[in-house]
Amino acid sequence: MANDITTEDQEMGGAKKLSKSAIRRAYWDWMFYNLSVQNFERMQGPAIIKMLADVREDLYPGDPKSQQEMLERHEVFFNTEPYLGCIVPGIVLGMEASKAEGNDQISSEFINSIKTALMGPFAGIGDSLLPGTLIPILLSIALGMSPNGEVTGPIFYIVVFLAIMLPLTWFLFSYGVKAGANAAELVLSGGIKDKVTRAAEVVGLIVVGAICAQYAKFNIGLVYTSGDLTINIADILNSIFPELSVLILSFVTYWLMVKKNWSAGKTMLLMLVISIVGYFTTILTV
Amino acid sequence: MSFLQALLLALFGWMGSIYSPVLIGGLAGWYTIGRPLVSGMIIGIILGDVQTGIIMGAAIQMLYIGLVTPGGTMPADVNFAAWIGIPLAMVAGAGKEYALALAVPLSSLGVLAVYGLCAINLYFVHKQDADVEAGKLDAAARIPIVGQITNFVLRFFPILLINFFGQDLITALVNALPVQVTDILQIFANMLPLVGFMLLMRMICKRDVDLILFCVGFALMSVLQLGMVTIVIFALGIAYLDYRGTAAAAPERSE
Repeated sequence: MANDITTEDQEMGGAKKLSKSAIRRAYWDWMFYNLSVQNFERMQGPAIIKMLADVREDLYPGDPKSQQEMLERHEVFFNTEPYLGCIVPGIVLGMEASKAEGNDQISSEFINSIKTALMGPFAGIGDSLLPGTLIPILLSIALGMSPNGEVTGPIFYIVVFLAIMLPLTWFLFSYGVKAGANAAELVLSGGIKDKVTRAAEVVGLIVVGAICAQYAKFNIGLVYTSGDLTINIADILNSIFPELSVLILSFVTYWLMVKKNWSAGKTMLLMLVISIVGYFTTILTV
Repeated sequence: MSFLQALLLALFGWMGSIYSPVLIGGLAGWYTIGRPLVSGMIIGIILGDVQTGIIMGAAIQMLYIGLVTPGGTMPADVNFAAWIGIPLAMVAGAGKEYALALAVPLSSLGVLAVYGLCAINLYFVHKQDADVEAGKLDAAARIPIVGQITNFVLRFFPILLINFFGQDLITALVNALPVQVTDILQIFANMLPLVGFMLLMRMICKRDVDLILFCVGFALMSVLQLGMVTIVIFALGIAYLDYRGTAAAAPERSE
């Protein structure tokens, strides 16, 4: 038996064979190469193989046969959101470490079924939290800092985004390794996943509403003149509710793209037509 | 722009593309220098006008702020849009609406590159299988490094060549266009951010009733004119109340 087994290690269940440096190596492997050979058949599968191949001597020292078997069982489809979802490759590594220690309960099928069961939910949570919420929030703060091309906005985004993501992904990955399969039960139990997703959606909806009001413009240029009387339609609309024209256009775009499932390209084409017609009829203005 | 500048644009453009591994994968790559706002700053540094670069980057960023790429599908590609659209609009001395007008067709070209790449890379997947089978485990581990060649070729060369050889054409085109075109493009560009946001709404708006939350955010900005940080704090508060509400109602709810 290894002489460095502590109570903490035993509680963790997996990961006794893995040194911290091996986990770190696997983490960087995943972070760098997750999408490097993206493809239709296996998506991120080759990156899982690379990650395990680079720690194979830690798991099965001097045993090429077992190393080869380990890599063969990962010649399958794998796809998740790579950064918040990095807990899944972490769990895979934890399960592999546990199996390498001789835990007979962990079979090839078990590893692959856990992996497959987790990748979907984490793809969903990851996409709605990262590119769906965190990144638009940070970007809109950054855009607000650079109305005239100041460098503060982009610098703010770079620093804050990386300061959040690097520690967070390392925490998720190493948590996955330590807890092995148990992490899956913990995170997904009690409907926590649904609640986290719902909270992300609520924040996302409010932020998107705010950003629409901030960045989209739809200026009505119609002016009605009759003798001394001039009625500016845009002023009337704005007195009812500021940016009412943008809000209405938002609902129309929502109806087309979300309810009617129009593609981005088709919607843009319609907007181009509206711009041309609106400009020449003077209904719209710059 | 000089050949060296086009070369630098191509190099950074490749590093900021979605499948490039070199900058901690997507962390410092796709999600950092690949965001048009940040791309604009780097393009500005390369072309010697940081301010204009960021202004144009910000314009393209607004259009693509809600871009999510679920499961490897690519609704629009910001890489060519930013790394070709911004430099060409800058050398032509045109306004940001030209960068936006270039961005839209370029993003379609980028989507083509993505799907081409996903097909070509099947070769490397099967090469990796063969390596594992033959016991060449080091070679199998190198596949994600070697296979990056596809992404490099599909990003580096289009950005280099279109920027370098396209600049005179774009400049001539911009000078030949009448003023009405600029105005129409501006009206068009004003509406475009909504497309990006609605791509996001497809994911996060599960029920039409949720549009109330969208309106709350809209009103906080348009009526109360609060800053984004303040709005996020309000949003977190509302999300917490929603969480408490569903937690209390949880026992009889089983979806």
